[in-house]
Amino acid sequence: MLNKALIEDVLQAALETGGDFSEVFVEDRYTNHMVLQNSRLEKNLSGRDFGVGIRVFHGLQSVYAYTNDFSREGLLKAARTAAKAIQGKMDGETTVIPLIKESISTLHPIQIMPHEAAKSRKLAVMRNANDIIRNYDPEIVQAIINLIDEEQNVLIANSEGKFVEDQRVRSRMSMVSIASNGADMQTGFYGPGAYQGFEFIENLDLDHYAKESARIAKTMLHADPAPSGKFPVVIDNEFGGVIFHEACGHSLEASSVAKNASVFANKLGEKVASDLVTYIDDGTLENEWGSINIDDEGEKSRKNVLIEDGILKGYMIDKLNGRRMEMESTGSSRRQSYRFAPTSRMTNTYIAPGKSTPEEIIADTEYGIYAKYMGGGSVNPGTGDFNFAVNEAYVVKNGKIDRPIRGATLIGNGAKTILDIDRVGNNLGHGAGMCGASSGSLPVNVGQPMVRVSEITVGGKEA
Amino acid sequence: MSIEQLKERLFAEGENTGFTDLELYYEKKESLTIGLYEGEVDKYDFSDVQGASVRGLYNGKTGYAYTEKFDEDSVSFLLKNAVENAELIENEPEELFTGKAEYEEIEFYSPELDAVKPEEMIQFLQEVEKKILAYDPRVKKVTTSQMQNQKSEKGLFHDKGLELKEANNFLLFYVSILVQENDELKSGFVFRITKDFNELDADTIVKEVVEQGVSMLGERNYPNKKYPVVLKNEAAASLLSTFTSSFSAQAVQDSRSRLQGKLGEKIAAEHVNLIDNPFLPTGIQSATFDSEGVPTRKLNIVEEGHLQTYFHNLKTAKKDGVETTGHAHRGSYRGSVEVSPSNFYIEPANQTVEQLYAEIEEGIIITDLAGLHSGADPISGDFSLAADGYYVKDGKVVGPTKQMTVAGNFFEMLQDIEEIGSDLIFSPMSFNGYIGSPSLKIKGLAITID
Repeated sequence: MLNKALIEDVLQAALETGGDFSEVFVEDRYTNHMVLQNSRLEKNLSGRDFGVGIRVFHGLQSVYAYTNDFSREGLLKAARTAAKAIQGKMDGETTVIPLIKESISTLHPIQIMPHEAAKSRKLAVMRNANDIIRNYDPEIVQAIINLIDEEQNVLIANSEGKFVEDQRVRSRMSMVSIASNGADMQTGFYGPGAYQGFEFIENLDLDHYAKESARIAKTMLHADPAPSGKFPVVIDNEFGGVIFHEACGHSLEASSVAKNASVFANKLGEKVASDLVTYIDDGTLENEWGSINIDDEGEKSRKNVLIEDGILKGYMIDKLNGRRMEMESTGSSRRQSYRFAPTSRMTNTYIAPGKSTPEEIIADTEYGIYAKYMGGGSVNPGTGDFNFAVNEAYVVKNGKIDRPIRGATLIGNGAKTILDIDRVGNNLGHGAGMCGASSGSLPVNVGQPMVRVSEITVGGKEA
Repeated sequence: MSIEQLKERLFAEGENTGFTDLELYYEKKESLTIGLYEGEVDKYDFSDVQGASVRGLYNGKTGYAYTEKFDEDSVSFLLKNAVENAELIENEPEELFTGKAEYEEIEFYSPELDAVKPEEMIQFLQEVEKKILAYDPRVKKVTTSQMQNQKSEKGLFHDKGLELKEANNFLLFYVSILVQENDELKSGFVFRITKDFNELDADTIVKEVVEQGVSMLGERNYPNKKYPVVLKNEAAASLLSTFTSSFSAQAVQDSRSRLQGKLGEKIAAEHVNLIDNPFLPTGIQSATFDSEGVPTRKLNIVEEGHLQTYFHNLKTAKKDGVETTGHAHRGSYRGSVEVSPSNFYIEPANQTVEQLYAEIEEGIIITDLAGLHSGADPISGDFSLAADGYYVKDGKVVGPTKQMTVAGNFFEMLQDIEEIGSDLIFSPMSFNGYIGSPSLKIKGLAITID
């Protein structure tokens, strides 16, 4: 994407004022976005993102500059602008080590590149999903099918001699169903995605995903308002993992640990979760939505065990925060695009499977809430307080799933909730999502088997 | 290659490719963001970026394509993609605006901001951090302290001759803190958006953020029930921004709005006015033309509780047989032309916040809402959100509550607005217009306390 000699010059220019490390990230990304709504293709967009990000360190100080100007002059100007901001004392001169290309073998084979599949083939799959949703029930009034695929080519080079290129390919189709009885409208959603090409879209089990989307909308249309109060909550697998992603995963990222802004800082080796909990981040899972070969600093991805049987074992660490913590990178540095300096982020994060069957967990719950599909939520990074919407929920009564309820929001505190897990199921599943944080919005998987939390506050309309 | 060069080649080649109408939309942005952590500069980001999008009519259908790479190959890339995309699209073509029009003459760009030096920004951030830490022993730390100086330019070229461009710039400031007493941990934050660096006053900011943070200490539980609620201005603005899409004609035409069929009807309490003003001097969405090049104007969307109009672009207006309201909007050159308000707000009245709760026997003040992207359904209007705030008894603030959820329905809430404050503020976090509200007194909302 850029020649080696030019990159070496840019890396050197970035070190002119005393920086001790410089890095160049080049990105060339092709994206397609199609939206089927009102049973017709209403959006058909495509384009190319291209830019370069230059980063310079001086100790714990970091400066980042990014531009789309890829001319020699443009890149040297950006490098010198970054260098100028380093208020470095010239305490030794760093010279760029000659770049040697590192080749990587992909962990995530692609069969049909997105650009190789005609858009008409993509549209055919979207129509199929649309038909399944609309034929599900007369109360379904609208289906919105989004298909996004992309090819992201990256080049990462740094003053330590690293020079590596990679191509990331991702495809996702999300299906929104709207059910209405005239007075009221409710929505259902399912959005599977993978680090794969068109083969993922073509082989999607629409009979499952599209139907589930429609079924959720229809079920919620006939649901009662959620009760309020403190209850045991059973959270099902796949996207149910979003709670622990938000409420614990982010607190295990070096970006919050290094600054002591995390409840898990300085607690390695201590008990931080229920004994039933083993929590893992693994970017190497084959073809998963949150997977990578290398992170955005060029480090190989790996399986990082964060919590094992309730004991804190490790963090997700990037280069800069690694300096602060005096710990090695864990291949966890990610960024949305060249417009963001990378930092420690999750890939595919999940609670490892336990021994209970889902049937046992429900049967063992006298009265509580069953959250079948979770929606999104957020967490206050300083306090760990979280809130999550439940897309499909039920009351559990005498060990049986009872009536559906809607409008349930779960609130609580992450560090406490992970201690309160009292059942872990054996049905591990992963769900695709987008995670937003300081280095932008990234594809991640959240995952877990069914778990039960002994008590969470549920806020509903029935106060 | 410059944007002008790209435009010329694109229009020249476009005619040969079979496009009957072509438009090139572009955005340029430059920014400097500085963040501080424990007295040291922790974030220092420069950006200088641009992107452009072509939109054209091909065989009577609309095709789009964008690029951030401006080089020899970009012209053919854009045209090839736009043709491919047009061939498959199935909705009505988008009309391109070629009409002669009069535009308001306002300069939103403030040259003074160009003179703000990085050193001054750092110095200010350091002053604020130092004063926060000294203000109250319960302050545990300053978690984020950031300032961004950004300028942007948007422009539109049409192959039939239309040429428009406009620049704007802002200084954004944000600080968040953690306060602690015993085991209780609470946060506070303050943001400012300004065109005048000297308007930022460290002492005012420090007082505001620390007092806000420590006022949340000493949380207590109160019974779960339906309370009269005072929604503080920031919370009210963020709630309004979540449901703003209901006012879009696009959403109405797609049956995604509860305001469908409600033109002329009473959708809010009698004393509620909702205004869209694209000419606010400090409005982030201020502009004299919209994303289609149509002149913008100030509009009353809701007058004395009655819905006057939806937000329209050329396409939605044509479908409804009305004039566009100048609300065509592109989130960026990556996206298509949509509908969005500009600076959209509930008109302030004359009550202070204290007056809003002075008559409340037992109620709740909500200062902050969280989970708006997940706990609110923009179509039905239902919401169930995490909230922070205080318990009120006999017109007096008793103290902070534990984390709450507040649940209700936005459209019912509009009818239940009993009183309106004077303290209009705009929510900084919105992708759908720049949305503002004063504090509001609401008849009743369901409150659950953790």
